[in-house]
Amino acid sequence: MKNLFFTNIILLIFFSSLDANEVKINENEIFKNLRCLVCQGQSVAESNSDFAQTLKLVVRDKINEGNSQKEIYEFLAEKYGAWILYDPIFDGKNSILWLSPYIFLILGGLLLFFFILRRN
Amino acid sequence: MLSYFGNSLLILNVFITLLILYFSSSFLTSNVKFDYKIVKRLILSQLSITVVSFFTLLFAFIITDLSIISVYSYSHESKPIFYKIAGTWGNHEGSLMLWVLILVVFSFLFYLFNNQNLRFRNLTLFFQNILILGFSIFLLVNSNPFEMIQPTPVEGLGLNPILQDPALAIHPPLLYLGFVGSSIYFSAAMASLISGYRGKNFASSIKSWIIFSWAFQTLGIIVGSIWAYYELGWGGFWFWDPVENASLMPWFAMAALAHSVIILERRESLYSWVIILCLLTFILSVTGTFLVRSGILNSVHTFASDSDRGIYILSFLCIMILSSFLIFLKKFPISDKPIENSNKGIFILTNNWFMVFYLITVLIGTIYPIFTEVFFETKISVGPPYYNLLIIPVLIPFLVLMAIGPETTWNKNSFLKFKKLIAVIISAVFINLFLYLVLKSFSVLTNLIVISSLFLIIYTLIDLLDYFKKGSSYKLPRTTAHLGFGLLILFIGLNHNLSEEYDFNLKVGEIKILDNYEIDFNNLELQDEINYKSLVGKFNIKTLNTNKIRSLNPEIRIYSKPETITYEASIKTNLLHDYFLTMSNIGDGDIYNIKFQRKPLMMWIWISAFLISLGGILRLFNKT
Repeated sequence: MKNLFFTNIILLIFFSSLDANEVKINENEIFKNLRCLVCQGQSVAESNSDFAQTLKLVVRDKINEGNSQKEIYEFLAEKYGAWILYDPIFDGKNSILWLSPYIFLILGGLLLFFFILRRN
Repeated sequence: MLSYFGNSLLILNVFITLLILYFSSSFLTSNVKFDYKIVKRLILSQLSITVVSFFTLLFAFIITDLSIISVYSYSHESKPIFYKIAGTWGNHEGSLMLWVLILVVFSFLFYLFNNQNLRFRNLTLFFQNILILGFSIFLLVNSNPFEMIQPTPVEGLGLNPILQDPALAIHPPLLYLGFVGSSIYFSAAMASLISGYRGKNFASSIKSWIIFSWAFQTLGIIVGSIWAYYELGWGGFWFWDPVENASLMPWFAMAALAHSVIILERRESLYSWVIILCLLTFILSVTGTFLVRSGILNSVHTFASDSDRGIYILSFLCIMILSSFLIFLKKFPISDKPIENSNKGIFILTNNWFMVFYLITVLIGTIYPIFTEVFFETKISVGPPYYNLLIIPVLIPFLVLMAIGPETTWNKNSFLKFKKLIAVIISAVFINLFLYLVLKSFSVLTNLIVISSLFLIIYTLIDLLDYFKKGSSYKLPRTTAHLGFGLLILFIGLNHNLSEEYDFNLKVGEIKILDNYEIDFNNLELQDEINYKSLVGKFNIKTLNTNKIRSLNPEIRIYSKPETITYEASIKTNLLHDYFLTMSNIGDGDIYNIKFQRKPLMMWIWISAFLISLGGILRLFNKT
């Protein structure tokens, strides 16, 4: 039984790694990650504004030019500021944003661990 | 006329609240041995006055009394009666009136049902009335729903059409039962610290309130999500928007509290942690109100924002946080009972550990953009990718622990049933493999999420069957809620991975072929309705491999009162999929932007979320 279980896991990882090799840019995913700057809290994918329509054209052009997802984000962030990206870039300024939840998670875990130790 | 009447009631209410404060404050210092009879009468009059003032406002909305600003600004004679009523709380002033009403009703109910300890009961009343006073003054001075307008206008401006919706009519009352419900255990926690009424009895007196507020918070969030799904028109139901986060943060705190209060009730330990959570929950609720109403964060849900109001709520919030923190420090129980050491206790603490992590993640994600703006002068956005990346991996162990946790007992030496464990893991892995091969391949992370949620589902189902056989209903509420959570994560995971989305432009009469679909933009019709004009797109969508044709009719509506354009999605729902279509005009041309989506299992997402809430409601009726 145990062997079967592990084979399954290995199979899964194998299948998923096949997917990873397939380089395909999903334009909808990019649209969802861009803020519509003239709207109230809507993404480009969601908005019906002219701004969103224009930005979709820009992104499609960039994809056709062979830019990667990351390059498109960098281009837009430079043009419009980081405000446009829903996926904040990991850098010095944003390290607190990205790391602190996990720091709290680890601290909480340690606290719990010492609680359990102390009970014995 | 109604304006004068309403205003007098509000002023009278402030005086009565001050009187209640005066009488109940005597319990702060000395040990008064008797109940002031007058207090009961005061509370009763406070209740009647608040109820009457709320209904006065409701009445003003029903008869469309345009001499009142809030009626003029948010209502119109031509509106259906249902939306005139819902319009009462569909705006800032009216919703605050509702907030105060619920505060007063809950305060009354708590006073009525808790007569075990005189001092605890009166001190809870005292703190509850400080909150009532704070919000009543806010209502009177800054957000007066009865304010007059001179001269009386001829017609009202009308309610924002996207708020004219049945789901959104019941969404605020449901959510407020959750938010305001947490005020009771905030006040009770303060009273408990001062009066020394702690332990088991204290836990029992707040437990129902915790479950109640949590269940209604859940319902409020679900109804809001359903509304956003079909009304905001892009097929999503959760956007990690600041306003949504504001309702989710207290939800996590409530869920943590609902678990840890069990330890306090059963073992009389963990008192200070329970108190912290009690205080935190209501503070987060008010913070949510602050974020929503101040307009400090850019949100799709900001319907009523004003910086003066923001400053008032912020000051009130600071006073609340500071005073509760000081009282907590001063009365901090040094000789708390030793830490919980049963297996069940450890698992409940583990639940709290995860809940606090989710809470902190959402909190940081929500307020961090304010920090970068203040300190680095750069505006950043924190959206779905951030929350998904941080939270999803942590869900995996959480789901597994959630399954096996309830299996443990209060006995220190209980062990898990390993045979059952292995059997459940293997079946979860196999079902996942089946889904993976039959439906669509998905990432390692998704595989793990599917496996762990299936693990929780199967484990809980076994429990559920067991209890049905034995006929004991004690664990029914918990299993229902846990099952609902497992199903929710599973369905969201599958929905996320199996959704098909297309975004393209089309003219009337054109046909577009996309993978397995043929989209035929057949016709465009102009329709005249009572309070809006509508441009209805007639679409036929053919699924190529089955040759089944579905007709969907999305609309662009032009409302006259107030002048607004809305985009109505057309949704065809069945047990397995939702077909979702929206259209919007591009400039003034004849090309339309079309968004077509096939979203699997939508109905099951709602059902599982309702199961979570049902679990809470069942617990309220199932006291042990």
